[in-house]
Amino acid sequence: MLASAEIDTRAPTAQPPALEVTSGWKSFGRVTALRDVKLEAFPGKILAILGDNGAGKSTLVKVLAGVHTLDAGELRINGQIVDRTSPRLARQHGVSTVFQDLAVIETLDIAANMFLGQQIRRAWIFANRRRMFADAADSLAALGVRVPSVRAQLGELSGGQRQGVAIARAVREDNPIVLMDEPTAALGVRETAHVGEIILELKRLGKCVILISHDLEFVFKVSDRLLVMRLGRVQGRRDTHSTNQQEVVAMITGLAGDDEAKA
Amino acid sequence: MIVNASEAPTQSQLPTPAQVAAGDTHVTAFRRIALSPSLALALTIGLFVLYGVTQTSSFLSGQVWINLVRDASFTAIVACFVAIVMIGGGLDLSVGSVFSAGAMVSAALAFHGQSPVVAFACGILVGAGVGVVNGVIVNYFSIPAIIVTLGSMFGVSSLVVHFSQAQPIGPLPTSFTNIGQHNLFGLPYIIFVAIVVAIIAYLLLHSTTLGWNIRALGANREAARSSGIRVRGLSICLYVLSGSAAAFAGALESARLGAGTPDVGTGLELTVIAAAVIGGTSIAGGLGTIPGAVLGSLLLSVLGTGLILLHVDSTLQELATGVVLIVAAGLDQLRRRQMFRTSARRALAAEAS
Repeated sequence: MLASAEIDTRAPTAQPPALEVTSGWKSFGRVTALRDVKLEAFPGKILAILGDNGAGKSTLVKVLAGVHTLDAGELRINGQIVDRTSPRLARQHGVSTVFQDLAVIETLDIAANMFLGQQIRRAWIFANRRRMFADAADSLAALGVRVPSVRAQLGELSGGQRQGVAIARAVREDNPIVLMDEPTAALGVRETAHVGEIILELKRLGKCVILISHDLEFVFKVSDRLLVMRLGRVQGRRDTHSTNQQEVVAMITGLAGDDEAKA
Repeated sequence: MIVNASEAPTQSQLPTPAQVAAGDTHVTAFRRIALSPSLALALTIGLFVLYGVTQTSSFLSGQVWINLVRDASFTAIVACFVAIVMIGGGLDLSVGSVFSAGAMVSAALAFHGQSPVVAFACGILVGAGVGVVNGVIVNYFSIPAIIVTLGSMFGVSSLVVHFSQAQPIGPLPTSFTNIGQHNLFGLPYIIFVAIVVAIIAYLLLHSTTLGWNIRALGANREAARSSGIRVRGLSICLYVLSGSAAAFAGALESARLGAGTPDVGTGLELTVIAAAVIGGTSIAGGLGTIPGAVLGSLLLSVLGTGLILLHVDSTLQELATGVVLIVAAGLDQLRRRQMFRTSARRALAAEAS
């Protein structure tokens, strides 16, 4: 925690943003999910995105993860403009994502899930299952995720274990930018605290973390900056340490904030 | 993860994943084999043959078995790749028509003096071309695979009849028919060809990284895409493979018959889908094996021939196929539910500890 306090005292302008959206718009049919959204996320910082259901949080994360392409506005990863995106390109740009639905395959085993789309090969085309089993077991053990066996099918796991696998997969990729959409949704109190430690460890390693969560207490414990969304707009931004839960709740429900409109 | 010496003997603590990865393997492997559709199929075939042997001695005839396995070879070559399409979340109903197209194109070329290699290659290319059309329409126009491939089934078979005027092409030169009619170690070449094709399909699905991507694609397309798999390209490749395999098998059939016949593939699409499903391929995608598809093809042939040998009325044979198909699908459901139930219990126990 001392280390994080030190980082906090640095001016955010010291480094260019790892991830940036400039006035992003996104519609699905007649529904406008993102309206003129601006976002900046910095290395070594944890940005939390808050908002009610339908506020556009998940759409924003999917844009950042390459699942959706913005209708208007720019997405920049490490200062580089990314026009056409796909999850594959996003990952090549150094973005790892824990999706809200976890994006896991129930009929495959844990190791296959952890290496989905980026398997370890041998002799060009063959899957090196042995190494994947070993590496998956190591990654899970390092993060303290307990599973019966890395050969177990994902469909056999509990919700918490699945979430652990999805998080371990993103962490294992060791990318400089990590997006987490509701990473604690299926977790109990102890596991949630554990995920908090993992996130702080990512921050200590200088990674840029973007976190979406409904759990305000959790968000206040781990994040550095808050971005509150409401009805597809950015309602406001705060330093986590200079605000409180009442103010944030007021912003989420629309009773307070809307800094962008004032500006 | 920290296990004290005092806690260790209680065994309530789960072992670390690393320990499990090393120790639990045998149990899982055993369970996997015991529950596999392939084992159930092999047992079914074995029991049926045993029963047949007690009824009539013709079940022991070598020639009967050679013919039976040769017939199954054609089904298996196509069924392996149709199973892969289904495991990848698709469906290919056009393989019967493509089989005929491959048979006719290669026969026409061989008849007009082209070398067997050229004839086979062009036949396969036609199949691959139909696969490209199927795959592109399914993946870029979001039309369900069952509709697209039903359409191409009609389209291709109509083109085959149009260009051949529904007339067979033949007789074909021996250089072309050799592969379909000659034997190796007393067994038809075709059986060895089918074994090689099945091994290629097996390696593709069960050993390559592509195989894992195919199963991910079939089980959860969105998750596969989110994980960086090029889902459209991969899916198109699968249709190209099944089209090529069907056309190749068709060319082989022309070589065996010594003539290209425009209706050789009629109904084949349903036979191979039945074989794949009997072998444990999930119609919903994501699950299935190549040994299962091969054994499914074999079972259909054994049933077909066996019922003739047992003097069962030939009109009732397809009834048997239908019953086996539904029973196989039902057993698969049961097995899957059983697997997830025991695992749910295990997961609960893990949570509780």
